[in-house]
Amino acid sequence: MHALALAGFTIAYGQLPLVGLAPSLSTLALIIGAGLVATLGLGEGRRVGIVIVPGVIVLQGIAVSLGFEATPELLDFQGAWFVFHMTLAFLGLCGMALAFAAGLLYLVQLRELNTKRLGRLFQFTPPLATLDRLGRVGLVSGFSAFTLSIVLGWAWTVSFRHSLDQTNPKIVWAVLSWLVFVAALGSRAGGGLKERRSALTSVIGFTFIIVSYLALRLVSTDGGFFL
Amino acid sequence: MTSIAVVGVSHRTAPVEIRERFAFSDHEAVEALGGLREKSGMKEAVLLSTCNRTELYVCPGSDPDLVAAGEAVLAEKAGGLVGGASQYLYHEQGIDSVRHLYRVVAGMDSLILGESEIQGQVKSAYELAGRVPTDPPVAGPVLHRLFQTALAVGGQIRSQTPLGRGAASAASVAVGLARKIFGSLEGREVMILGAGNTAELVVEALKRDRIRGLIVANRTRDRAQNLADRLDGKAIHFDEMPFSLAQTDILVASTAAPHVLITRDGFRQAIGGAREKPLLILDLAIPRDVEPELGGEANVFLYNVDDLREIIDGNLIKRQASISDAEAIVQDQAHSFAQWHDARDVVPVITGLRDRWGSMREDELEWLWQRLGHLPAEDRELVESFSKRLLNKLLHEPTIRLKERVANGRGADFVDAVRFLHAVGDVAPGADAGADASAASSADSESGPELADLFDRNDTDE
Repeated sequence: MHALALAGFTIAYGQLPLVGLAPSLSTLALIIGAGLVATLGLGEGRRVGIVIVPGVIVLQGIAVSLGFEATPELLDFQGAWFVFHMTLAFLGLCGMALAFAAGLLYLVQLRELNTKRLGRLFQFTPPLATLDRLGRVGLVSGFSAFTLSIVLGWAWTVSFRHSLDQTNPKIVWAVLSWLVFVAALGSRAGGGLKERRSALTSVIGFTFIIVSYLALRLVSTDGGFFL
Repeated sequence: MTSIAVVGVSHRTAPVEIRERFAFSDHEAVEALGGLREKSGMKEAVLLSTCNRTELYVCPGSDPDLVAAGEAVLAEKAGGLVGGASQYLYHEQGIDSVRHLYRVVAGMDSLILGESEIQGQVKSAYELAGRVPTDPPVAGPVLHRLFQTALAVGGQIRSQTPLGRGAASAASVAVGLARKIFGSLEGREVMILGAGNTAELVVEALKRDRIRGLIVANRTRDRAQNLADRLDGKAIHFDEMPFSLAQTDILVASTAAPHVLITRDGFRQAIGGAREKPLLILDLAIPRDVEPELGGEANVFLYNVDDLREIIDGNLIKRQASISDAEAIVQDQAHSFAQWHDARDVVPVITGLRDRWGSMREDELEWLWQRLGHLPAEDRELVESFSKRLLNKLLHEPTIRLKERVANGRGADFVDAVRFLHAVGDVAPGADAGADASAASSADSESGPELADLFDRNDTDE
């Protein structure tokens, strides 16, 4: 239904739902939802849906409340480069969202095991090993996609504009987000409690990505701001 | 009233050393059921034999001689017990035996309240009865219906009440914890310290989840070897234990040592720093084998007897609280079974009633034609039709009322009364047997179709 609605938008306005806040948020919600569907084969791992689904609903709710409108044609936002760039960025965020959900549930399950309460929350939450694997897959796939997205954006800008505005909020945000990926993956290195470290970094990192986005959006006066 | 009885022995009536004397292997159970049919002519029988109970369900259970024959089967298996076998046996009859089996299947009568293993054991017991080479089978229509409904009741209680939720034994808690840490237990390494009974049960439960390797460490190598042989593992001496610790995923400690065997410092030395992968330690020993401080180490999850007991008690309290809900389901379903059983009785009675009066109608018509031989054919048809209509109208109301009584669960006395007043069983034994076979072939269905057929016949006759 969601995909059909976005296809309808594309046909009606002759524009992919990758430009403008509402269509972009809706596409992001769709891709994160698809990421959740991909976890269905993971048995109890699919229970990360308890975190993902409300997030998807919030994203879609914001998109609907903003209203879907066509964005005035901008040359920058056309062509295969742009489509790949945005799709990969959304896939990267989807991977981070999955890592966040898995990390959050990992910390909950760890707490249940350490406090030895083993109640309903313990029964519902997937095994630590499953959550750690899901978080790792989310981070690795998300990092790959996000890195590729940044490289594409950088290559396009340098090739066609011959300059890169390093103070542009979307570039600042993209670099910060990429660093979050690096930190989350880096936390898996070494020994000791690397699973717990990774879970914690994923939770903090994803929260940071959201907060930094909102903050940059608030302070930015750039009309053509991303998303 | 249902014609089922159960005679048995369980953890409620006998200690384990007595119960094990009543235990039947599959082969013995098949032989015992075949022998029971041969010697006593028992129509239907199912033998349930688990570590906590041996029960023989028989039908008809209203005949004391047949029930005694069933009891003799159990007594013979137990052999010469001081004071006789009957002191350990209990009996239930009629609807009580139905309620009993429903409670058994739901785990309400189990040593560990709500345990689910019994569901599979009851199913196997019924299937085993199906393998007895008798004709007709000892797993006949009444017991088929009883066991099928019992398994459904067990499932219903487990899904609709918290009776089977949460682990309620050390072994099930251990498996639950291990699964929540490692996900799949396939390929995990387990080490067992000492050779306590509880530890053995825990390891057996873990082995069912296809763990990869098992190491048994003991102060005496011979004892370790014995247990390792039994559990298909590898025996080592205590002194070798630190070398294997780094590879272990689950450690079950259950020695009788008077002091701590694994200290935090010793553990650190054994694994050479921080542990890379999770380790679940179940310290089932009293006094404890593992220093409590070890639980604070990275990736170590330490649970002692008190922790497990607390978890089990918490789950058992929840299970206890759900007994009234489970009991309500048992009562309700036992009532439904009794209705089915009574309805099953009413079918041959109604068939017999109609056959008896139908036969009488034909006799009377024959007598009439001898005296009114001059009547033209169309007048004869009219008289025949009149006699049919009269008979249908006479039998219609009693049939409807009998059906209503049976449906309300109060039909048994009326069925007996009709049988007696109309001498149904005396006149049409063949009809009874036929209806029995019909009911047997549709044991899974409610009594409705058979009754509906009879009423349809009334309508077409008219």
